Amino acid sequence: MSAVATQQTDAELVHRCREGDAEAWNALVERFSRYVYAICVQGFRLREQDAEDVFQDVFTRVYERLGTLRNDDAVRPWIAQLTRRLCLDKLSSGSREEPVGEPRANEEAMMADIDEAFAVREALTELSEPCQEVLDRFFARDESYRTIGAALDLPPGTIASRISRCLRKLRSQLEGRNEA
Amino acid sequence: MPEGDYLDLRLGDFLEGLSGSAPGPGGASAAALTAAFAASLVTMVARESSGSWADSGGAAAQARELEERVVPLAAETAEAWEAALGALRDASDGGAEKGGELEEKLARAAELPLAIAEAAADIARLAAVAAELGDGTYRSDAAAAAVLAAGAARASAHFVAINLGTRQDDEWLERALVSADVAADAASRALDAGP
Repeated sequence: MSAVATQQTDAELVHRCREGDAEAWNALVERFSRYVYAICVQGFRLREQDAEDVFQDVFTRVYERLGTLRNDDAVRPWIAQLTRRLCLDKLSSGSREEPVGEPRANEEAMMADIDEAFAVREALTELSEPCQEVLDRFFARDESYRTIGAALDLPPGTIASRISRCLRKLRSQLEGRNEA
Repeated sequence: MPEGDYLDLRLGDFLEGLSGSAPGPGGASAAALTAAFAASLVTMVARESSGSWADSGGAAAQARELEERVVPLAAETAEAWEAALGALRDASDGGAEKGGELEEKLARAAELPLAIAEAAADIARLAAVAAELGDGTYRSDAAAAAVLAAGAARASAHFVAINLGTRQDDEWLERALVSADVAADAASRALDAGP
């Protein structure tokens, strides 16, 4: 991930994009690409090709219409709204491919879940490397305490308490974000 | 028994399937669900101890994760065992083995009990911590969880040994036996933690 992507706020990034900064554009796409893709695939259950189409449309429109965004801090909900609309258009237009499953009925709850998942993901990147590593191994890679201990050269008996401490730090990060 | 997640079954239907003669869950599936019961108990103890145990939230999150990890193994291990038995029957009837298919199926039938044993060992470790640091009212539940998880780990290690054809030097078998020992130690700690 580039320095621009990790250090700048959403509003700062939008401001630089408006000034025609190509690096900022790349960073903006990098920052929101997984988010847009998650809405398409996890929320609306679009198949790969349709999700790709929506993805292209979303960032084309963001490029064309960024100047109309009134509040630069609101770029995330604006992109989310744009993506939802384009996903619905894709579904109602008789897309090339059947969705993988039924789109989630409660759109608000679906968006809340995706937003929460991304907030957790971003908060994770602010933790120390060892914390990111231990949480990723346990929760994402489903590794046992023994495997984690062997990989990180730590006693397996200490892994559970390390995970708990890291989760406490993650919670603090998330609460700090919510307060901000 | 229907294929898929046993969570969709009523407990009575699962027990019926366990006691019946039709293909379905056996000892390894029962061990997986016993480990899941233990993980649920740890979650409960951790949640009820939030006032006195700083890391209770982290322990509850880990217990939930381990429960979610172990529940699907209950059905998967039954299906793998059925597939291995079928391949063994075909082989003994003189059927041609296709590209190591029999070996693959036997390996899968041992790999899943190993995963159950390792998850059960982690649940037992977490239960021991809950028995030591959890709220006094619930420590006996944590100790019960550790004992249940230790039983699940030991039973699963036994299936690894049986399904591997008792090769004593096998790395999987060694890992399964270590998991059973770790879980047994954790259960002893939990029982010693007191009320």
